[in-house]
Amino acid sequence: MTTGSLDFPVQLRPPERRFGLSLPVDRTEPSSDHELMLAVRGGELDALGELFERHQRPLLGFLVNLTGDRTAAEDIAQTVFQRMLKYRHTYRDDGSFTAWMYHLARRCAADHYRKSSSQPAAVDPAELSEHADEGPTAPERAAHGEDREILRRALACLGPDEREVLLLSRFQELSFAQVAGVLECSVGAARVRAHRALAELRRHFLKLQKGACP
Amino acid sequence: MNCEKTREYMIELIDGRLAGPAGDEVRAHLEACPACRAELGELRETLAALDRLPAPEPSPRLRERVLAAVEREKRSLHSAPTPAPLTRRRSWLFPATQALAACGLLALGFFIGTRRAPPGADLATQRELADLRSRVDSMGQLVGYSILQQQDRSSNDRLEGVLASAAVRKPGDTVINGLITSLALDPSVNVRLNALQALYAHRDKEVVRTSVLVSLPRETSPLVQLAMIDFLAATRDRGAAPALQRLSAADGIDHNVREAAQRALTQL
Ligand SMILES: [Zn+2]
Repeated sequence: MTTGSLDFPVQLRPPERRFGLSLPVDRTEPSSDHELMLAVRGGELDALGELFERHQRPLLGFLVNLTGDRTAAEDIAQTVFQRMLKYRHTYRDDGSFTAWMYHLARRCAADHYRKSSSQPAAVDPAELSEHADEGPTAPERAAHGEDREILRRALACLGPDEREVLLLSRFQELSFAQVAGVLECSVGAARVRAHRALAELRRHFLKLQKGACP
Repeated sequence: MNCEKTREYMIELIDGRLAGPAGDEVRAHLEACPACRAELGELRETLAALDRLPAPEPSPRLRERVLAAVEREKRSLHSAPTPAPLTRRRSWLFPATQALAACGLLALGFFIGTRRAPPGADLATQRELADLRSRVDSMGQLVGYSILQQQDRSSNDRLEGVLASAAVRKPGDTVINGLITSLALDPSVNVRLNALQALYAHRDKEVVRTSVLVSLPRETSPLVQLAMIDFLAATRDRGAAPALQRLSAADGIDHNVREAAQRALTQL
């Protein structure tokens, strides 16, 4: 019996992605997120730095909108990247990096609030308005500044689950099937929940616009 | 398609990612339904406003903290000794396992879920060992295998033992029993994985399949769980179905493991 005969006939992972995968440093084509994460998984931990640079903004934006708490959002974002390191072996060959990242983000946010035993449900609008004016150019601020503030308040009126599904639906790189995967529900349920959340957001927005405080 | 169903698809329609027959049906309904058209316009407006919300600028501290975590992890990788045999063996193990194994991480028991409890430390372990032994006994195959003796050896030594067992051309029952015990009880993920790999050649023996089945519910490392699931799927043994079903429904299971168990169920 040779060692070769010990091989499993069923290989879940494609054989071409063997150990030894290294970062293609001298390639002109930039690596995809997926390639980078496979490199991290293979031990090229520096590739996580590149993934961090690519994703820190959308991830932080998601977490700030989800929690309404800038400090908590940064702490959670840090935990997300730490867990990518720790659980890199669970990243799959057929995985989507973005879906995986938001899957982790969601867990990390839940853990964060379990630990601190406070809920992200009641978002303090004052906290949100702190960074309401960050971002784009002055003319854009003038045009959208007020509505933006109202929208942040409306977002804060949603339940955490509603905010979560709605914010996830905004990532164009995630299909609804992937959103459903992140939320661990069926695609149909994700669609229904996202639509309800959006309709709720609009209802709160209009109410706040008219000056009514919920 | 009715109004309710149409509305569920509106976000995807607005984002321009609704294709196929569902897209056609939604568009046909909108054509005929002014109420849904009005709702579509309103939702489009709200979504556009939501998308315009500026993302906050991450603080430099976040980058510092994440990069520091990467550096820490790199140091812990490089300080780990490399188990020599793994580098010259061709392995069926998936790349993550190979990478980690080659880095010596597995041998160090760095891994989450690595069992620390020495054999015999808890009642469940003892019962399981007794169970395994009785199964082996009943086949008249138990030849002395001292687990206690194993405890004094480093995981590298135990790994060498497992690899040596795997290389035996005509392994006797002693060798197989040793591998079974390593799979069930060794505290090192690396040793357990290699024991499982070596046992694959003996999958036609009922005692081997049973031992994998018995070990699966107690296994805490997602890597070994995945490998065990692969093993069971490959044996096409219908007897594995209940264990896989339990695993796919259990709480606190790594989602990759759960998915693999569900997939394996379809392959039995
Ligand atoms: Zn309609």
